[in-house]
Amino acid sequence: MRDIFKLSLFLLVVAGISGAGLSYVNSLAMPLIAEQIRQNKIDSFKEVYPQSDKVENESGVYLKDAHDPALKEVNIAYRSGMPAGVLYAVETKGYSGTISILAGFDIADSRLTAIKVLSQTETPGLGAKAKDRFFQDRYKDKNTTLPLEVTKTAPVKDNQIQAITASTITSKAVTKGVNAAREHFNATFGAGKQ
Amino acid sequence: MSLTNEFTKGIIRENPLFRLLLGMCPALAVTTSVDNGLGMGVAFSVVLLASNIVISAMRSIIPNSVRIPAYIVIVATFVTMIDLLMHAFTPALYTALGIFIPLIVVNCIILGRAEAFSGKNPVLPSIMDALGMGAGFTLALVLVSAFREVLGAGTFFGQTILPENIPAIMMILPPGGFITLGCLLAILNKIQKKTA
Repeated sequence: MRDIFKLSLFLLVVAGISGAGLSYVNSLAMPLIAEQIRQNKIDSFKEVYPQSDKVENESGVYLKDAHDPALKEVNIAYRSGMPAGVLYAVETKGYSGTISILAGFDIADSRLTAIKVLSQTETPGLGAKAKDRFFQDRYKDKNTTLPLEVTKTAPVKDNQIQAITASTITSKAVTKGVNAAREHFNATFGAGKQ
Repeated sequence: MSLTNEFTKGIIRENPLFRLLLGMCPALAVTTSVDNGLGMGVAFSVVLLASNIVISAMRSIIPNSVRIPAYIVIVATFVTMIDLLMHAFTPALYTALGIFIPLIVVNCIILGRAEAFSGKNPVLPSIMDALGMGAGFTLALVLVSAFREVLGAGTFFGQTILPENIPAIMMILPPGGFITLGCLLAILNKIQKKTA
């Protein structure tokens, strides 16, 4: 009986010291991590919608009604105080996990400005190429009238996106996510809506 | 047993990956590129060094019957610290290594060294043991990932070195990991037999 008490006390002390050490390291690292996440977000906003003075998360306003579950965030980009662009954070199911994407739209000329894959767990060397510049550039400056579709050959129409070789599932997943944002954009910010 | 001996044994004679066949999970999973392999090796070495020092310093006060839970708490603490610090200071590496940082907690090499070495030896030899084992594991990971990255992606440290149509994508997928590790083990066994 006394043994059990002694042993538990020992483990309690070890765990207590560990906890104290961890909370100290955590207090050092947390501000840096938070700052990094914030900076990353600002950088990706700049990448998909460069011409803006500030970006505000207005998901509360635009996502309060029933919406496509793929849509996670709606951020509005302001230029001289006027809403100029919309930045959607969307999540879509890829080949081996969730792919999260940021898609930017320009309100004035109803076009998709650019997309950026924020995180993915696709197969290295295949689907993981979705985060490479060359694939994301295929979405640049697309008109929003027609749904985007994936082709395996070089695109002939404006709404076609050429898939990554041997990674059709990933390419389709990204396109599906971008289309979800496109539909919400058309319904909310399309010509004549605002 | 001299201190140099404690250091060098981990590199070749008792290399944790090639000779003891420990830590196979990270060795197969993160070795898709040399910088991932190197990053994992360095993170692992830091945790091993810290846990070896603390465990060997505490070896006389840790009661024998609860030594395993005590080891795990100590190792988990250091892993979580490394995890937070890497997230704060090396975000790119942190994203690349993903789940494998928290998994260092259950890396059998660390527990293995605690049980086989630092739980029974003084601090100084334990430091040498950790440095040697860390260097050995890191070298092994770099070797495996160098083969896989060159043959699978045609790059080395991210620099393209092979023309586009030569690399076989399979080498950076899971089968390539098993094939590379198997071939390297076979070659090392052959060399070992000759010298023995």
